[in-house]
Amino acid sequence: MAQGWGLGALINLDHYGHYIQWHVIQISVGNLIVMVLMVATFVAALLAPFPGRRNRKGAK
Amino acid sequence: MTKKAFRPDVDAPEYKGAYVPYDIIKEGAIAVLVVFILTAALALVFSSPDEKAITIKTWSNADAVDFAQTAGDELAGTSAVAGYGAPYNSNGTSQHWGFLSPEKWVGVHIPINTSQDFVIDPLSAQPAQPALTAALNQWKSASSTVQTAWADAFNKAEPNLTFVNNRVIIPTKAAGPIPVLLNYETQMARSGALDQALVTQNGFYTTNYTKPLLFLSDGTYFAGLANKQHLLGSQWGMMNETGQYPGQAWLWLYTFWYQVKPWSTSASGDFLVWGTMMILTALMVLVPFIPGLRSIPRKIKIYRIIWREHYTQ
Repeated sequence: MAQGWGLGALINLDHYGHYIQWHVIQISVGNLIVMVLMVATFVAALLAPFPGRRNRKGAK
Repeated sequence: MTKKAFRPDVDAPEYKGAYVPYDIIKEGAIAVLVVFILTAALALVFSSPDEKAITIKTWSNADAVDFAQTAGDELAGTSAVAGYGAPYNSNGTSQHWGFLSPEKWVGVHIPINTSQDFVIDPLSAQPAQPALTAALNQWKSASSTVQTAWADAFNKAEPNLTFVNNRVIIPTKAAGPIPVLLNYETQMARSGALDQALVTQNGFYTTNYTKPLLFLSDGTYFAGLANKQHLLGSQWGMMNETGQYPGQAWLWLYTFWYQVKPWSTSASGDFLVWGTMMILTALMVLVPFIPGLRSIPRKIKIYRIIWREHYTQ
């Protein structure tokens, strides 16, 4: 436990969370942020160029 | 010999293009380093959930009435655990899906007699006190018919149970020794002695908290705390975490079924959800063998975005 070492979180998230409700779907803001980041990472993985592509082009 | 027709989802065409070197060890090492730095940084900034464990001592001090009512239900054999069925006892209908009922097949392998295990045994292990000993003897020597009559009287008076001046008040005179037993049980709980009495000691380390957890689950206090933190099954609780922390987002489909009928209203909901997920998991594992489903990646052509350099040549 970090507090035992005299260290605490810089941002304390130990408060009741915020939730978004849409019909039957209920999602916490924390989970929504993680999901958006995961989708963004997936899209970036699709669209970002492979490393070394520029070098290969230069070599051609 | 005739040449076999090319099957697009099964056969791989021979690759005749150019090859380029790629250092996968370097990529793996960079990925590990990035994850390590991110983990350390996020732990420093946000730390981790730090909710204190809920014990029977916590519960009985925070809501003595709920505790005493629940203890009475355990003694009377009318609590949810008392009537659950396998694996705890044979008093209820096991969860099933048609003829499939794994709980029933496995049988009672964690035997729990709530009256004995949660109330009578812990009280019997207390140092001798005349009033307690007399009440215990009265309960133990009574026939099951008499015990049921006391339990019925308690159940009728239970909604009006109060806790005043450290005493449980049950407004009935027909409940036999139950008021005395519940008073001692509540005192024991508030001191923390009941937590110790209910933990099963397996060897040197104490790791089996089955009994105190089942006892806690029968009250409304624990469910109330879970409700505030959006951790109930009906609140997509499986994918949530305490506080504002993100939780197990990957369990979204598992917990989704608990929100819709018939899964949300079935008495065998847990087993139905598990069975549904097993069927869906089998479908996912068997994708390469399922015509139509295995064609989806080829038809939606996302691979062409990833390998766009190759396909533009």
